[in-house]
Amino acid sequence: MTRFLFLAGALLAVAAWAAGTTPPATDATNALLDGQFPDDPVRPLVQAECLLCHSGEYVTQQRLTEGQWQKTVDKMRKFGSPANDEEAKAMVAYFARYWTPDLPPLRPVLAGAPKGSAPRK
Amino acid sequence: MTLDRRMFLKSSLASAAAATWWLKAPTLAQAKGTLGLIRRTERPLNYESVRSTFTTRITPLDRFYLRNHFDIPAIDVGKWRLNVHGLVEKPLSLSLAELERMPQVTVEAVLQCAGNGRSLFSPSVPGVQWRYGAMGNAQWTGVRFRDVLALAGPKKDASFIQLQGAERPTMSTTPPFIRAIPLEKALHPDTLLALKMNGKPLAANRGQPLRVVPPGWVGDDWVRSLVDVEVRADEPDAFYYNPGYRFPLNPGAPGAPIPGDQMKPMTKVNVKSLLGSLSDGDRLRPGAHELVGVAFSGEAGIDRVDLSFDGGETWTAAKLDGPSTPYGFRVFRHLWKPEAGSYQIACRATDTNGATQPEVGVWNPGGYLNNAIDRVQVEVQA
Repeated sequence: MTRFLFLAGALLAVAAWAAGTTPPATDATNALLDGQFPDDPVRPLVQAECLLCHSGEYVTQQRLTEGQWQKTVDKMRKFGSPANDEEAKAMVAYFARYWTPDLPPLRPVLAGAPKGSAPRK
Repeated sequence: MTLDRRMFLKSSLASAAAATWWLKAPTLAQAKGTLGLIRRTERPLNYESVRSTFTTRITPLDRFYLRNHFDIPAIDVGKWRLNVHGLVEKPLSLSLAELERMPQVTVEAVLQCAGNGRSLFSPSVPGVQWRYGAMGNAQWTGVRFRDVLALAGPKKDASFIQLQGAERPTMSTTPPFIRAIPLEKALHPDTLLALKMNGKPLAANRGQPLRVVPPGWVGDDWVRSLVDVEVRADEPDAFYYNPGYRFPLNPGAPGAPIPGDQMKPMTKVNVKSLLGSLSDGDRLRPGAHELVGVAFSGEAGIDRVDLSFDGGETWTAAKLDGPSTPYGFRVFRHLWKPEAGSYQIACRATDTNGATQPEVGVWNPGGYLNNAIDRVQVEVQA
């Protein structure tokens, strides 16, 4: 079975390479690349304590080591995130588990000029 | 392992469908009209231009990148005042009408975010993950900063000009966005307090009604919705001035930490070029194709742009639209006649001071000033 999966994976990778794309991602990876937050007890904390000031892409576009996540969470607490020590520790673990340096970049979202772009009359 | 052959086949079919969709999806370079931006973050607004934007000297307003630290401030333009104080003979509080009555000057200059290209650094660094499009070239119209300073009369100890806009962080504990430029740059005749961008009054998310334009310098000094100018003898003690927006005096190994006293504020942008007419993954027919892109440098013109189609073995000079300007984009063109094959197109600019682009950008903890040679991978198929 393992050998079969390995061969199948290799075939898919070759097919993807031939088609000029990276190998297809798993559903979980796809969700991350679309900017979703995986279900987890920490998720409501992120909602309440990070997204007060900024949108979720500030987290989901980063590709950081645990040490970098620790520094980022420390900085955000200095800036005013209400996370306590225990919550911050859980957040660092959550971020470092999913948004790692080897995760491919967030899929780009095309947009028009946002509200407030019209020149003043 | 619980995956069986049937499940594997199902997931492979789903993957194949996804791969097919991906192949058919238009490349970002083909995005036209209203979808000319890539949303990096929704709040605050951070949007970058798609690569195909960069085929003209002037960047259209609706495709020009947006960069914000905080929410866009609500400004009543009729009540807005610009306050100038500190080491001056006569503190000022100027209305928009008063500024509009002063002599107006137009300067063409590239505005580029310090972090443009940040996501291309390895190892990766935190921050908005800009790729290529956090830059644009506009015509800025307004008053000379030195004309405003002359009204206030800087005292002899004046050395730095502290700048603050109307934007405020959500939390009172978050540092405000405060910057400073040396007095010398503020007094340069091309440094403006701009009221217009490409001939139009500044929009709400472009820094209405007035922003600083220190041409040739990195975007962090182009403070928007300017309300407070403090003339100082020393540099401010402000997060976004120190430790924020600093570059190593002597860059170290990629990923290595650099002590704070070994960092300095950024000033000029470095020489850079970008191919606009093609994007990674584009497929072309053999035959003639005009390649078009832009090149620029800080406080210097563009002397040449060279293109390579063989991984940097050989280089060909592109034609440059004229004239060269000290702060703006210079458009380059090349008629390329490829045969079928796989090509990496590289472009490399050299400025009028002889500075040129490196193979790899100088890694730094903030992910700033990445001006590596631009490379685009395309396929030419009969």
